[in-house]
Amino acid sequence: MLTLPHRPLRIAAATALTLLIAALIAAVLWAILDAATDAASGSRVDIPHLLRMTSLQAGLTMVLSLLVGTALAWALNRLRFFGRDLVVGLFAAAIVTPGMVVAFGLLSIWGRNGWINQATESLFGIRFDSPAYGLSGILLAHVVLDGAFAARILLARLDSIPQNRLKVGQSLGLSAWQRFVLIDWPALRGSLPGLGAIIFLLAFTSFPIVLLLGGGPANQTLEVAIYTAVRLDFDLVGAVRLALTQIAVCSIVILLASAFTPVPSALSRSAQPSWRDAAPVRVLQWLVLVIGTIGFALPLLSVLYDGLASGLLRVLGQASFWRATLTSLVIGASSALVTLALALILSLGRSAAHLPAARTLLGVPAYAYLAVPAVVLSLGFFLLVRALGVPGGMAAPVVVIFANSLLSLPFAIATLGPPLDAILRSRGKLIRSLGLSGWRQFAAIEYPLIGRDIGLMLALAFCFSLGDLGVIALFGTQDFQTLPLLMYRALGSYKSNDAAAIAALLLIFTIAAFVGLPRLLERIAHAPRR
Amino acid sequence: MLRADDLVFAHPGQPASYRFTLEAAPGQVTAISGASGSGKSTLLDLLAGFVHPASGRLTLDGVDLLPLAPEARPVSLLLQADNLFEHLSAEENARLGLPRGTPKAEAQERVASALAEVGLAGFAGKPAATLSGGQKQRVALARTLLRARAVLLLDEPFSALDDETRRTTRDLVGELTRRHGWHTVLVSHHADDIAALAEAHYRIVEGRLERV
Ligand SMILES: Nc1ncnc2c1ncn2[C@@H]1O[C@H](COP(=O)(O)OP(=O)(O)OP(=O)(O)O)[C@@H](O)[C@H]1O
Ligand SMILES: [Mg+2]
Repeated sequence: MLTLPHRPLRIAAATALTLLIAALIAAVLWAILDAATDAASGSRVDIPHLLRMTSLQAGLTMVLSLLVGTALAWALNRLRFFGRDLVVGLFAAAIVTPGMVVAFGLLSIWGRNGWINQATESLFGIRFDSPAYGLSGILLAHVVLDGAFAARILLARLDSIPQNRLKVGQSLGLSAWQRFVLIDWPALRGSLPGLGAIIFLLAFTSFPIVLLLGGGPANQTLEVAIYTAVRLDFDLVGAVRLALTQIAVCSIVILLASAFTPVPSALSRSAQPSWRDAAPVRVLQWLVLVIGTIGFALPLLSVLYDGLASGLLRVLGQASFWRATLTSLVIGASSALVTLALALILSLGRSAAHLPAARTLLGVPAYAYLAVPAVVLSLGFFLLVRALGVPGGMAAPVVVIFANSLLSLPFAIATLGPPLDAILRSRGKLIRSLGLSGWRQFAAIEYPLIGRDIGLMLALAFCFSLGDLGVIALFGTQDFQTLPLLMYRALGSYKSNDAAAIAALLLIFTIAAFVGLPRLLERIAHAPRR
Repeated sequence: MLRADDLVFAHPGQPASYRFTLEAAPGQVTAISGASGSGKSTLLDLLAGFVHPASGRLTLDGVDLLPLAPEARPVSLLLQADNLFEHLSAEENARLGLPRGTPKAEAQERVASALAEVGLAGFAGKPAATLSGGQKQRVALARTLLRARAVLLLDEPFSALDDETRRTTRDLVGELTRRHGWHTVLVSHHADDIAALAEAHYRIVEGRLERV
C-alpha cells in the first residue's frame, strides 16, 4: 500500500522487539531441553494418561462452551431490555475473572457444605455427592467462564450483521429457525473454529480451576502436573517432559487454528431494527438468558456474599494480607505497563509495515505465549535463573512481571492492532499528504483515537496478572506472595473464611480495574467514543 | 395506487422530523432523490414497516398498511447490497420468495421460470457468493417476481454496478414493473437512472417530499 506513511523507525523497533522475545523464548526452551537431557534419573509421571484426560476435559469444555455461548448470544441478540448493557458487560468480564474466584464460588454453591447441600439437608434431610469436584466440577467452572466468553465474542458477530440483510429477511417473513440458519449461522460459522481452539487451549492449560477442583491426579492438566512435579515431588525430569508435551500439543492446536480466520476482538455496538421472533421462541430466549445469567453471576455473587460476610475483618487485620495486596497491585500495574509498551511497539510497527511477510513476522510474538503457557514459561524461567546462578529471591519479581506481560500480550495485540490498522487504512493518505512526523501522527491522531482501547488493554493485562496463579505458584515464597497465592495457601491450611474474604477482594479489584481503567484512559486521552 | 398521507416520523433522539406525502401509481417507477442524509432510506423504512410513523396514513388501493408487520405488507425490497444469503445457491435464494409449503415440483418450475425471466436461466445451482454484482441483483429480482407483491422498494440498487450492467439491470426493473403492474419506488441520486426509468419524481427537501 503506497498510501501508508513511511515509518522505518517503528518497523525497526518492532522487529528488534520480536527478535528479542523470540530469543528469550528460545532461551527458555533451551533451559527446559537442557534439563531434560542431562537428567538421567527416571520419573513417575504417566504422560499418556494425562494427555488422554486433559484432551477429554478440554474437548468437552470446548463443545459445551460453544453450545452455551451460541445459545446465550442468540438470546441476547434478539432481546432488548433495561439492563442489557450490564448483562453484556458481565459476560465480557468473564475473560478477566480469576479462575480461582469462580472455582471458589462454585464450591460455595455446589460443594460439600455448599448452599445446595445445606438447603436439601435442612429441607429433606438428604445430602448428595458434590458435583463440584473432579471432572464435572472442572467442566462446570470452565463452561461458566468460557461459555460467557464465547457468548460475548459471538454476540459481537451477530450484532454486526448488516442492516440490509436483516431488512430483507424480515420482509421475507423468515421463521425463527430460518433466521438462525440463513442469517445468524453464516455470521457465526467463521468464528467457531478459532474461538473453539482458544477455548480448547484455555481449558487444556487451565491451572487454578483444576488445582482447586480437580481433586487429585485423576483429573490433572499437564500444567497442574508440572507444578506438582516441581513443587511437591521435586521431579524436574518429569516436569520437563510434561512441559515438552504441553508445548507440542499446544503448538499443533495453534497451527490448526491459524488456518482459520482469527477471532475478531472488536467489541462493537450497532443499532438494529426491532425484529422480534415469535412469542414461543421469545419465551425460550428469555429462559436461556435467565439461566445463563444466573449460572454466571451466582458463583460470583456467592463469593462476594461469603467473603464480605465472614472473614473480612480478620483478613484485614493481617499484615501478610496487606503485603500480598501491595505485591499484587505493584505486579499488576507493572506488568500492565510493560505489556502496553510491548504491545504498542509491536502493533505500531505492524500497522506501518507494507510487506505481508513483515506483517506476519511481527504478529508472531502474539502467539508465543499460547504455545508456552504460564506454568511452562515460569518453569523455563525458573531453570534459566538457576542456570545463570541468580539468587531466586532477586529474580522472582522481575520474572513474574515479565512472564505475566508475555501472557497478556496476545490479548493486548488483539485489542490495539485492529484499531491502529483501521486508522492507517482510513487516514493514511491524509497523514501522508499532511507530512506529519511519526510522533505527531501518534500524539495527534492515533493516541486520542485508541485511548479507550489502551484503557481496555491495560485493564486486561492488569486483571490477568492480578488473578495469576500459574506463574506465582512456582516463584512465590513466604515473603513474596500475591493475593491468589495467599488465597491458595489459606485453602490449603483449611482457613476457608480467609480464602473467601481474599476471593471477594480479588473479584472487587478485578471488576474495578475492568470497568474503571477504560473510562479513565478515555478521559485522559480525550478520545471520542467510536 | 400506493398513497402516503402526512406520514410523520422522527428518529429517536434526533431533532429532524419528517412529514412525507406521496403517490405511486401501478406499473410505474416513482423516483425519490435528495441529499445524503435527507431521509430517503427512512422513507423506504416507513413504507416497508421497519419504523412506525407517529401519525398519518399509508394505503394501497384503499387498504391500510400501517397495522401490518413488514413481512405481512405487500412489499418487496431491493437494496444496494446484502440482498442475498451468500451461502445459498441462486435457486435457493429465489425460492425464499415463494410461500412456505409450496410443493417441491411446483417450486422448482416457478423458480426456473423466474430465473429465466431475469436472464439467469443457466445459473440456478451457482452459490450466490460466486455471482457478480449485477447477477446478484437479478436473483433478488427473481425472488421479487416469485413473491408477487404489489410494491417494490429499491434503495440505490444500481450504485454498486458498472455502467453497462447498471443500464441492463435498470431496464429490467422498468420492464418488470410495467409487465407486472408493480408500484415501484426507486431511491437514487443518479439523474440518468431517474430520467431513464421514472414516470414520477420526488425530491426530499427539509423532511418533505417535493414533486419535481
Ligand atoms: N436508526 C437511526 N437512529 C437515529 N438516526 C438515524 C437512524 N437512521 C438514520 N438516522 C438519521 O436520519 C437521517 C436520514 O437518514 P437516511 O438513512 O434516511 O438518509 P438517506 O437520505 O438515505 O442518506 P444516504 O443517501 O446517505 O443513504 C440521517 O441524518 C441519519 O443520520
Ligand atoms: Mg440511504
